[in-house]
Amino acid sequence: MFDLNQARAGRSSPKLPRMEMIDEAGVREALRAVEDPEAGMSIVDLGLVYGIAVEPGRVRVEMTMTSPACPVAPYLVDESTAAIRAVAPEGTDVQVDLVWEPPWTPDRMSAEAQSRFGWSG
Amino acid sequence: MPPRWRLPLLALGFVSLALGIAGGLARLTPFGFLPAAISLHGALMVSAFFGTVISLERAVALERTWAYAAPLCAGLSGIVLLAGFGVAGMALMALAAAFFFVSNVMVLQRQRSLETATLLAGAAAWLAGNLMVFYGQAAVPWWIAFFALTIGAERLELSRYLKRAPAVRVAFMLLAAAMLVLPPFPAALGAVLVLLALWLAAFDLARVTVRQSGLPRYVAVCLLAGYFWLAVGGVLMALSLAYDAALHAIFVGFVFSMVFGHAPVILPAVLRVRFPYSRWLYLPLVLLHASLAVRAALSTEIGAWGNAAAVALFIVTAALICIKGVPAPAR
Repeated sequence: MFDLNQARAGRSSPKLPRMEMIDEAGVREALRAVEDPEAGMSIVDLGLVYGIAVEPGRVRVEMTMTSPACPVAPYLVDESTAAIRAVAPEGTDVQVDLVWEPPWTPDRMSAEAQSRFGWSG
Repeated sequence: MPPRWRLPLLALGFVSLALGIAGGLARLTPFGFLPAAISLHGALMVSAFFGTVISLERAVALERTWAYAAPLCAGLSGIVLLAGFGVAGMALMALAAAFFFVSNVMVLQRQRSLETATLLAGAAAWLAGNLMVFYGQAAVPWWIAFFALTIGAERLELSRYLKRAPAVRVAFMLLAAAMLVLPPFPAALGAVLVLLALWLAAFDLARVTVRQSGLPRYVAVCLLAGYFWLAVGGVLMALSLAYDAALHAIFVGFVFSMVFGHAPVILPAVLRVRFPYSRWLYLPLVLLHASLAVRAALSTEIGAWGNAAAVALFIVTAALICIKGVPAPAR
């Protein structure tokens, strides 16, 4: 059977192929490429991604930062938007919003991040 | 504000950086050229250069056009001071700090926390320092508090990734409160800076990221080296010794080292340029700290020229990396 995903993959990023359909897991995977540069870890593992809503033709993400004074925040929003657009079907409306409520807490970090930063293990 | 409009603001600050450093070096020569830059070395470096950079960062974070008034006023203050309009320049410096203070009130409103309150305290210290200049009083301890509080708040925020006992935050809060009230007593402020350096060396995220590789490790090395110099500067201040070494341990060893570390993180966000990590960045960093050691222990003059060369080398290295995309040598 002809695999459209593979066909598309051939002419897009070798890392994450553009998908015919995108779901929450696909968005999350795309966001793993976006890192907090100083922590050297993805915004997903750091628990900075609060919510992902996927509808046909539309992706909405809410993310936060550990501080509202961080100048890198708007940049990471743009990076996240670009990372999702790179894998979402062409023409998908992607919107990433920065939110400050509720404030970020360390329990949002992944097990890997918690382990690296001394919360477990 | 689009990133392309941020570059002219940054350029204004860099005029003060260049002439502020030239003025500092001219102090050490018998020729006495650049009289305005000589007498205003501190104001140019702290308020017109760092003030522009730090308030520009905050404006980018806030995403409010009015917040760019702070870096605009700070950047212009240096030009106006150098042009010989002392009162107007100092008034612009104070105005820049006032806009920056309001920006930090807005940050606090977005999220009420020890971190954002400490940033506001830092802004208050900068405003106090700039008003001191305006009224002909001692500004330097206030400026030191501005940096210590601002950088301390940012490090506290990043250290939240780490598991730390609640007492660690309480200790920071006490240090921050002390830094806000102690600038009239420089020796006591020096003692608190030593404690802050110990706090940072013990609890900062850099303790973990220095064991990583690439950019996170480079940033951590910059920071940890900076904490060493903060402690040295604090000890010298507490003992009222070696004024030049004390101030430059803090402003060059602590603050510039932090700037060297964060440029690859911040510049892509502020100017939307690509700044890939390169091991070449360690070259100006080593020169900065080695020349500061010479300045503190052997020769103020040779050390000062080395400090200036390190800043120039960093700018050239950063520009080459950004413009030509110098690849990182293999690890």
